[in-house]
Amino acid sequence: MKVLEIKNVHKIYNSSEVKVHAVNDISLDFEKGEFAAIVGPSGSGKTTLLNMIGGLDTPTEGEILVDKVNLAGLKSSGLIDFRMRNIGFVFQSYNLIPVLTAKENVEFIMSLQKWDKKAMNERTIELLKAVGLEDRINSRPSKLSGGQQQRVAVARALASKPKFVLADEPTANLDSKSTETLLDIMEQLNKDEGITFIFSTHDARVVKKARRVITVEDGKVISDERKN
Amino acid sequence: MIWKTAWKNVWRNKIRSLVVIVSVTIGIFGGVFAVAVMNGAIEQKVDATLNDEIAHIHINDPGFRDNYDIQLNVANPEEVLATVRSTPGVEAITARSVITGMANTATKSAGVQILGIHPETEKTVLNLHQTTIPGTGDFFETESRYNLAYIGESLAKELNIIRYRIDEYVLDSLSAREVPAEVLEKLTPFSGKRFKSEKSFKKEIKKALTLKEQKSYGLAIKEEAWSFRTRSKMTLTFLDKDQLQTGAVFRIAGIYDIKNSMYEMSQVLVENDVLAKLSGMGEKEYHQLIIRLDDLETSREVNEALKEKLGNLEVMHWKEIQPDLAMMTDMVTKFYAVFMVIILAALAFGIVNTMLMVVLERTKELGMLTAIGMNKKRVFNMIMLESVFLSLVGGVTGILVSKLLITATARKGINFASYAEGFEAMGYPAHIYPVISASFFVTVTILIILTGILSSVYPALKALKLDPAEALRTE
Repeated sequence: MKVLEIKNVHKIYNSSEVKVHAVNDISLDFEKGEFAAIVGPSGSGKTTLLNMIGGLDTPTEGEILVDKVNLAGLKSSGLIDFRMRNIGFVFQSYNLIPVLTAKENVEFIMSLQKWDKKAMNERTIELLKAVGLEDRINSRPSKLSGGQQQRVAVARALASKPKFVLADEPTANLDSKSTETLLDIMEQLNKDEGITFIFSTHDARVVKKARRVITVEDGKVISDERKN
Repeated sequence: MIWKTAWKNVWRNKIRSLVVIVSVTIGIFGGVFAVAVMNGAIEQKVDATLNDEIAHIHINDPGFRDNYDIQLNVANPEEVLATVRSTPGVEAITARSVITGMANTATKSAGVQILGIHPETEKTVLNLHQTTIPGTGDFFETESRYNLAYIGESLAKELNIIRYRIDEYVLDSLSAREVPAEVLEKLTPFSGKRFKSEKSFKKEIKKALTLKEQKSYGLAIKEEAWSFRTRSKMTLTFLDKDQLQTGAVFRIAGIYDIKNSMYEMSQVLVENDVLAKLSGMGEKEYHQLIIRLDDLETSREVNEALKEKLGNLEVMHWKEIQPDLAMMTDMVTKFYAVFMVIILAALAFGIVNTMLMVVLERTKELGMLTAIGMNKKRVFNMIMLESVFLSLVGGVTGILVSKLLITATARKGINFASYAEGFEAMGYPAHIYPVISASFFVTVTILIILTGILSSVYPALKALKLDPAEALRTE
């Protein structure tokens, strides 16, 4: 079952001095439950591609369909709402809300979606257990290590059971041990929840874990390998 | 969750938030307390005016107030009195003659309004009799073979009926009041002296004492040196009904002090039958009927009812008798609101500045919130709530502090004794009891919330303009 279809997508930046073709005719499909990494050097267009997939940027040409819904056809408020319900984000610098505890950070999106309090609480505890932080639920981000914060971010991204999770360089600010732990957790959640994970990464460890590796260079897909 | 997040965000930078909160607290406290003092002064003035000077409603001949013509009596006064007494809402009524004349002593004279009253009914309508200065007499209670006049303290001073003298008795009284010996020594050269006027008394004391001594003991010296000879004399002269000059010698029955120099200077009360004899008016002829009501709130309705019944007479509501006071009471609530709005507008700039810093500092976080699904309305609400919470914490603290101080000063009052002369010249008491209504606190709270909301608009709009993808790239 396809959760994401990218069809002949281009992104061109026009400034007065130069025209940049950041994404050049990319077409990709993602199935439910995939664990994929998009790799490429800096400036290859992978972040731009990820932003368009996440609805944070619009393609100059082409279509991006999430569960058959064309993102370009959605108005601003509709797009934000769509993102909230269908797409989870994990950022390079965690981006947790510093004044909220780990539990409150995970609950945040569910409260925006007006989940029942009991269900929200159960889902939060379940996810924080899954990421190994059940004893830190009332800790604020300032009291957590980088790795722990990123695990909370993963739990937050999965809270509302999105169609897929976009992770932009999630291990860039972590040490090797934290990276291993995080990747193991994400892999396990991918298997348990059946949620698609799409990484944008330079990290070889992420590439090693990924079951599909898409290489992007100069805005084009150079290779798309699926591992057995 | 938005409310919780906004509340926690307020305390993210404690020092910055406290600076804003303290400034709002000081602004609100200053504004509310100043309003309470002004309000107290005005309420006291209105109370004093209605209870001591004019009561609630006046009835007179339609042309009388133009030039106080002695000929213009109230027609059929007994009928009118009966009609008024039978009107619901009327508590008491008294009748007066009013004649313009001169008050004279050996050294001074002053233009006055001579009020011929019936003391017993006058007491049921006004409380002037309760303001008699102890030791100066009473309100026509003591029998006397002389014509008696009840005058104000300011007139008594003007006519040199009240004088200032320093003698051994005064020095002993001052010593009993713990005035230091060195100060008494400086006053000793004046022993046995009667000063010509209050002005000359003050001038001599200023020369003799240092500024500090004047501030510390001046009031006590003035109070003890104040001197009045019982049943002092003065002459009242005026034109009678036939426009002939007439008059008589009156003894001072008592001296009243209502802290209103203008009223005290001009209003002299005598017994109506004495004035009637002198002026040629009949004993049952009156120029004015003064009415006290059960309830001030019904004054308009009763006024209208009396106007209908007494169409041939002028019926005046207290606000028509004293339009300046009416203007004050009617406009004052609007003035207070404008005063607070000005204070809050000034404070709002500080809040706007703080919220702009908040948005700037949290550009990346706001980008993230939009990315994960927080729509524009929620982002706006979150920033607005932070601003409202900031304003409310400071505002409520300011209200509580001012309420505490108002409660503390409401019993004993605030004594502006140094400015007493100025206050009394305008008809205001120098000892003010701050007072404020509960509805004013509600109004201020609403204004504070509005300030918080309005202060958040510009910063929130800036936040909404952020592009999430760009915001996320911010360091």
